[in-house]
Amino acid sequence: MNRNNRADYLGHIVFILAILLGVPALLGFDGFELNTFARYLSLAIVASALALSWGTAGILNLGQAATFGIGAYVMAMHLKLVASAGNPDGLPDFMGWNNVTSLPWFWLPFQSLTVTLILGLALPALLAWAMGIFMFRARITGVFVAIITLAFLVALQLWFIEEQRFTGGQNGLTGLAPLDLFGWSVDTYSLGFYYLVAGCLIAALVIGSLIVRSKVGLVLRAIREDSQRVRYFGYDVARYETFVFSTSAAIAGWAGMLYALVLEFASPTYIGVAFSLAIVIWVAVGGRESLVGAAVGAILVNLAEGRLSDMFVESWLLILGVMFILFVLFLPRGLYGLLRQGFGRIARLREGQGPKDARAQESAQ
Amino acid sequence: MNLMQIHNLTVQFGGLRAVNDLSLDVRRGELLCLLGPNGAGKSTTLDLICGKTRATSGQIVFEGQDITWLKEYKRARCGIGRKFQVPSVFRELTVLENIELARSRNPGILDSLRVFRTPIRGRVREVLQIVGLIDMVDTRAGNLSHGQTQWLEIAMLLAQDSKLILMDEPTAGMTIQETLQTAAIFNSLKGDHTIIVVEHDMQFVRQVAERVIVMNQGSLLAEGTIAGIEADPRVKAVYLGH
Ligand SMILES: Nc1ncnc2c1ncn2[C@@H]1O[C@H](COP(=O)(O)OP(=O)(O)O)[C@@H](O)[C@H]1O
Ligand SMILES: [Mg+2]
Repeated sequence: MNRNNRADYLGHIVFILAILLGVPALLGFDGFELNTFARYLSLAIVASALALSWGTAGILNLGQAATFGIGAYVMAMHLKLVASAGNPDGLPDFMGWNNVTSLPWFWLPFQSLTVTLILGLALPALLAWAMGIFMFRARITGVFVAIITLAFLVALQLWFIEEQRFTGGQNGLTGLAPLDLFGWSVDTYSLGFYYLVAGCLIAALVIGSLIVRSKVGLVLRAIREDSQRVRYFGYDVARYETFVFSTSAAIAGWAGMLYALVLEFASPTYIGVAFSLAIVIWVAVGGRESLVGAAVGAILVNLAEGRLSDMFVESWLLILGVMFILFVLFLPRGLYGLLRQGFGRIARLREGQGPKDARAQESAQ
Repeated sequence: MNLMQIHNLTVQFGGLRAVNDLSLDVRRGELLCLLGPNGAGKSTTLDLICGKTRATSGQIVFEGQDITWLKEYKRARCGIGRKFQVPSVFRELTVLENIELARSRNPGILDSLRVFRTPIRGRVREVLQIVGLIDMVDTRAGNLSHGQTQWLEIAMLLAQDSKLILMDEPTAGMTIQETLQTAAIFNSLKGDHTIIVVEHDMQFVRQVAERVIVMNQGSLLAEGTIAGIEADPRVKAVYLGH
């Protein structure tokens, strides 16, 4: 292992400790604050999902909000059915208002929590898999992937708004029951719920890191640099790309399920272009080469938004846009790149190399 | 015994036939040199074999299997490796990572998910020693000199361990010393591996070649031993540089 990996390792431990101990203590174990931070953590999950495909394999998925939103709706459908149990036929209220008389077949599976949890991961993954086969077999790369995924996002959101009878349309799904997680009635303003989300984030980061650090990650980084060359070593590039694309989608769906729990509703804005681009900005700020970096980016930007958007209600989006441009121009590798550069410099100075030499190596990187 | 047969291979780029009705047998374990003036179609021939370019017509049979229409990665899995004229290593990866990538006996995802490190022993160590990069395993390939980059790509092909290795001008940019070293490596590969080398350096060709093929304007012009080729008046006519 080289020193950069050791620095990464240290960074991961600091991050995990901060989430598990530092943050709850700093927030004084206040239920409302914990709930807000749990929201940031669920957004951190979707950010690291994007870093997995974008940072590792160079697949810029501008439609990441689509898979996130599907996860959110899946969870909300389950909770809506639970909330509607007392209604005739168990029919959700908005369906009645839209003259739907019996529960549509595709709502039925969501009566079961287990099936819901599985579908929250499987539906986004399957959808991404189908898209991946179509795109990557045809060797579509770079900006074209970004355009196709963005177009898909727009179409999906329109469809969700259009099919008001089944999806709640513009209003989304509201009036949800609290989650009963195998006997544990989840209070989203509790420390227990905070740890549920924090645990999910850590688990997602571990899964992602295992992929990145395995040879799959190596092949994906090679694909990012020169996909054609990788093929001459016998790797089925489309398969690797599809794999990381759908894994990323499953993790995004997972984040969406948690997000619906935190906010207690699902809305078509989750499947929106603005939200999807925001994810890209968080990842760019944190550093797309690192899953933890992306998670930190999501947390920091959302913290800033929470604190500052009250002051700059009108101009927050503008601030976000300017921040993105500044990062792309001056810190293309994000905060993670900055830290890594700093660590590298310190390590080299310790080894007794002159600063001049260190700078030469850095500029070569 | 033939490893590969090429039958009437043709590729058309617009109005240009870069390879024109080329037929060729490659014997198992031999080192075949491909000569010819610039633009003769040597690189394109290698492109057709490894799948970078699709043939317009003709057939390539590798170990009895028709691979003319096979995808690149499947040809690589059949045992065909390629070194490009412009050194193409992964500049963002370290030397060791480049070698690990090239070591692709099990290229499936499930296999790759189980590999977390590359121990520097066995064949990996051997290959790194052969090309003199053993002390630079953690260096980013982008920070290597041109000569070292050539060596790294050769090391990658050694690690890939293909039955048929296609080398496009492997000694370009090398010093005389390095060229001799490359010749020694190639000579040690003969027998276990079959090699097709495109090369301009006649010194090098004399050191390694068993059989030489000269191409001109996409077609086969002459075939034989290096001595026979050098004496051939037709070759002299198109290939004055040497
Ligand atoms: N992809 C391509 N499209 C169009 N023309 C090409 C392409 N590749 C090679 N050529 C042309 O085919 C001819 C043979 O090229 P090449 O095989 O690179 O020659 P050599 O390697 O023998 O110098 C050249 O005239 C070259 O310009
Ligand atoms: Mg050439």
